[in-house]
Amino acid sequence: MLKEYAGRVRLIFKDLPLPSHELARPAHEAARCAGALGRYWPYHDKLFANQPSFERADLVRYAGEVGLSRETFTACLDARRFAPEVEADVEQARAIGVRGTPTFVINGRVVAGALPVEDFRTVIDEALKDKP
Amino acid sequence: MVNGVRSRTARRPGVYLRKASLVLLVLALVLVRAVAAVEMLGDITVEPTMVKGSPTAPVTIVEFSDYQ
Repeated sequence: MLKEYAGRVRLIFKDLPLPSHELARPAHEAARCAGALGRYWPYHDKLFANQPSFERADLVRYAGEVGLSRETFTACLDARRFAPEVEADVEQARAIGVRGTPTFVINGRVVAGALPVEDFRTVIDEALKDKP
Repeated sequence: MVNGVRSRTARRPGVYLRKASLVLLVLALVLVRAVAAVEMLGDITVEPTMVKGSPTAPVTIVEFSDYQ
């Protein structure tokens, strides 16, 4: 979608690990560690490709696979360096009434659930009409 | 009953007024909630490493997601 709408759409990813998914929060913290080391999106894609294998050993292995230093990454992960940032995202979601995942906010319009690509195109095209 | 015909009791204007007020109140609450949600979007923090696409793009998609 981002390629299709290059220059016209930007994506902001927000962490919303659900309480029922006990391995999700460490995975979100791990992704932020990868981001701090310059490999956020490759790590992000790696996590989605390997759901739900998010044990600590998996998270460290993925770091190595995307080219990160395992030692530096592990230090960040074990220190839970980004726990406050992940929690802040959860709080922001709660504050605007977002409860489930995935939820998208497209120029202020809330779209809940994994909708077909065509539905996203419709919402994006409408948003572009409002802001050509 | 009047001559076998059920007579409809005319409702006092106050009844309609109360119903209209209730409907307006519900609509107002829905509107306030929607406006509050949109205003809260302005308070969303953005971590630069977690953004893709042009910063000047006219459309911004905020995705709240769970890896698991």
